[in-house]
Amino acid sequence: MEDNYLWDRSGEPDPAIQELEAILGTLQYQPRPLEIPDHIQPGQRRRFLPALAISASIALFAILLGLWFSFSRRQAPALEATQDKRIDQKIVTPQPQNKPNNPSQTVVQSPTPKAIPKRSEAPRNVLAVHKSRPSGTVIRQPQLTPEELAEKEQVLVALRLVSAKLNLAQRKTQGLPQLNTIRNQHKIG
Amino acid sequence: MLEAEATADMLLMTQPFTAPAITESTEQPVEVLLVRAVLSGERDRFARLYEMYAPMVHGILLARVPRGEVDDLVQDIFLHALRKLHTLRDAAAFGPWIAMIARNRAMDFYRSSRETVEVTEQMAVERPPNRTAKEILDMICRLPEAYRETLVLRFVEGMTGPEIAARTGLTPASVRVNLHRGMKMLREKIGAVAGQ
Repeated sequence: MEDNYLWDRSGEPDPAIQELEAILGTLQYQPRPLEIPDHIQPGQRRRFLPALAISASIALFAILLGLWFSFSRRQAPALEATQDKRIDQKIVTPQPQNKPNNPSQTVVQSPTPKAIPKRSEAPRNVLAVHKSRPSGTVIRQPQLTPEELAEKEQVLVALRLVSAKLNLAQRKTQGLPQLNTIRNQHKIG
Repeated sequence: MLEAEATADMLLMTQPFTAPAITESTEQPVEVLLVRAVLSGERDRFARLYEMYAPMVHGILLARVPRGEVDDLVQDIFLHALRKLHTLRDAAAFGPWIAMIARNRAMDFYRSSRETVEVTEQMAVERPPNRTAKEILDMICRLPEAYRETLVLRFVEGMTGPEIAARTGLTPASVRVNLHRGMKMLREKIGAVAGQ
């Protein structure tokens, strides 16, 4: 009953609560007009923001795609480009030798021009053309001095060490049993 | 401990704000219409929102900051709300939104200027309020936050439990619990003071 009066002023009034209402009611909010300065305006919703974000994402994707294509073209080594040029010339230079010996034979000619036009010098995707290219590439091993060999060995040892540490970390994260590091110590130097 | 419990109650029992009891002839709450009108350029309609919610904001601030600061803060909060009204996604939730602004502003007040409290106390002495009212308000302000806000809205601003729930966005059950527990603690405090 008392709880009801406290809740919504229904039911039997509780004198203590009424007293509190009377005392604390003196501190009640006194209405006062809101003075809104002229320069304060409610902001506008930015409805175009999602569309802007989407178009910006598309533009960024297009730029990245273009950069990736141009970068991948530049990756083609100069050596392969020169070899490619030679092979192209071989393809172009041979002239058709199978002229009909018998003039009575009719020759059906294709509407294509007889001479293959010379390819332009513009860069192209060499990876797609050189599938049938003989793989006779000779990789020359550079002659290393003893100091360079020692440095190379150091780099290899460092790489082995890093690899071993990465393996260890991976095993730890996956919860796999760890290998005996002392047993493998000779491998990592 | 009690404060933590009350806060947990608040968090658990607070649900997304539903339509308050006050509605116009249409089915939409009056807040929705007013907020839309203000956003469409009718700035004067904001005065109606101010009239409706100023007592609640006053009560929330009174439970947290010195009395001399409350009136100015109420104005500041409503001006801030007007500026940021476009960020309010659900117009029906204007009450809980501005209540949260008021709570945050009260927190900022204590965080930024503790010295101001001293000055305000001096100012309060110059204009003595009803001494008993101030004493009881001080007792309420020593209660956990959830209880003190609900009690101030109930006793000072004269709002009923359902009104508090509708305006602040708390569930009626949460408000009821806060009122009941807060009243119990306030009785104990008043009894202890009277017994001394």
